[in-house]
Amino acid sequence: MIELDGVTFTYAGEATPALQQLDLRIGAGELWAVLGPTGAGKSTLCSLLAGFIPHFYRGSLRGKVRVAGIDVPGSSLGEMSEHVGSVFQNPFNQVTGARYTVREEIGFGLENLGVPRPAMLERIERSLALTGLSELAERSPYALSGGQQQRLAIASILALRPKLMILDEPTSQLDPAGTGQVFTLLRDLVSAGETTVVVAEQRLEWVARVADRCLVLQSGTKAAEGTPSDVLSSPEAEGWGLCESRFSRAARAAAAQGITPQRPQLPHTLDQAVEYFR
Amino acid sequence: MGLLLAVAFAVPWWACYLTLGLLVLPLAALGRLFGPLTRTLWKLVLPFAVPILLIQGFFWGEGEVLFTLGPLSFYRLGLIFAAASIGRIAMLGGCFLLLSMTTRIDMLMRALVERGLPNQALYLVVTTLQLVPRFEAQAHRIQDAQRARGLETEGSIARRARALVPLIGPLLLASLMDVEERALALEARGFSRRGPRTSLVTLRDTPLQRWLRLALWLLAATLILYRLVSWITR
Repeated sequence: MIELDGVTFTYAGEATPALQQLDLRIGAGELWAVLGPTGAGKSTLCSLLAGFIPHFYRGSLRGKVRVAGIDVPGSSLGEMSEHVGSVFQNPFNQVTGARYTVREEIGFGLENLGVPRPAMLERIERSLALTGLSELAERSPYALSGGQQQRLAIASILALRPKLMILDEPTSQLDPAGTGQVFTLLRDLVSAGETTVVVAEQRLEWVARVADRCLVLQSGTKAAEGTPSDVLSSPEAEGWGLCESRFSRAARAAAAQGITPQRPQLPHTLDQAVEYFR
Repeated sequence: MGLLLAVAFAVPWWACYLTLGLLVLPLAALGRLFGPLTRTLWKLVLPFAVPILLIQGFFWGEGEVLFTLGPLSFYRLGLIFAAASIGRIAMLGGCFLLLSMTTRIDMLMRALVERGLPNQALYLVVTTLQLVPRFEAQAHRIQDAQRARGLETEGSIARRARALVPLIGPLLLASLMDVEERALALEARGFSRRGPRTSLVTLRDTPLQRWLRLALWLLAATLILYRLVSWITR
């Protein structure tokens, strides 16, 4: 699904590359989390995979970038939008403002892609059902909560049936309930074989719960790659700028007091912590 | 709108009141919009009506005087001329309000796109109208934050006006920052994609509506032509 070979990108007017010599292979039907501190290059990677680099943000791009079988630098944003969907941080800014109901908002992208009306109706209903928005279909997009608006943004992209969905910190402006809704939805979509997901994220507890694989970026380079458990339990995790979860912190505190763990690996989710302390 | 304007000035002034009383207001009542429409129309016309009435009435300067106010005389002909102007404004405003209160702007724009208007124009018009409440909400948020830091935003008109100055900068900056993400979100939904587009909404256009439209076009053309001929042969 994604092939990056020796990718280096420097924004126009900047001296330091935002991504450096990045190699990456992501297969279809996986949920990947991109981790790292602020300025690590997560958003740049998301923009690259969505085609916004080099078609929207200008700069110097070197290396090979293929996404969903498309050579990204050689394509256009219009072409990319047929295969790759993007969801951004601010749910409010993703409401087009051009449609009056949730149903019509989901239809906006389908209209642009020239999908015939009968197929459009079917896809909208399916997206509404998958994102749990069927009850709100006739509401104004502006009358939804933040979590519902973010689900609407996902539904709007989902209706385009992208082979790949890129989400750049989609829960950064959501409350815990909204965050839970979004992550659960992403996991369900991938498990149902609907799409492949790459999500840049800071909430490590949720990453540990839903991601198949993690990529850690540090100053634009790949610091680590592996399963959430391997990456988050790594002794180098703190050095990569990843904050320890409350569960692994509790586990360390328990170990310091001589409580023997049942599992060799530190817990990062509530379920893992229950097993760990059992 | 241009055609409506032309018709408003092509028909005799009393016909404007007739149109308003016999067509616009009954249609508004039929759509249960009589109250909102008349209230908005009143607010729309009053700022024009008062100065027109005063200027035309007191400064017409000839004919029968209706009453005097100190050194000023109020003329009958001035009153008639003011009534004519106000009637035209009221008819124009009434028609426009009836249209905006009964027609979803996206449907109207969709109809125009089907007649050749670029799709981008549709987006610009519809979003501009929808973004006004959002802009307002953002302004309130910034003002609340400024108030929390001690800025006085209530009181006399002068104080309120002063409070608007520190609002402009943050409001503009916040809006500009939103633009980038909004543009990317549009691109993600194929906004710049070339090729044919489809529409989820289907416009209902019955034979009766088509005939009515044709009849209105013919009526408008006849009225304009009649007025032109009257002017030429005067």
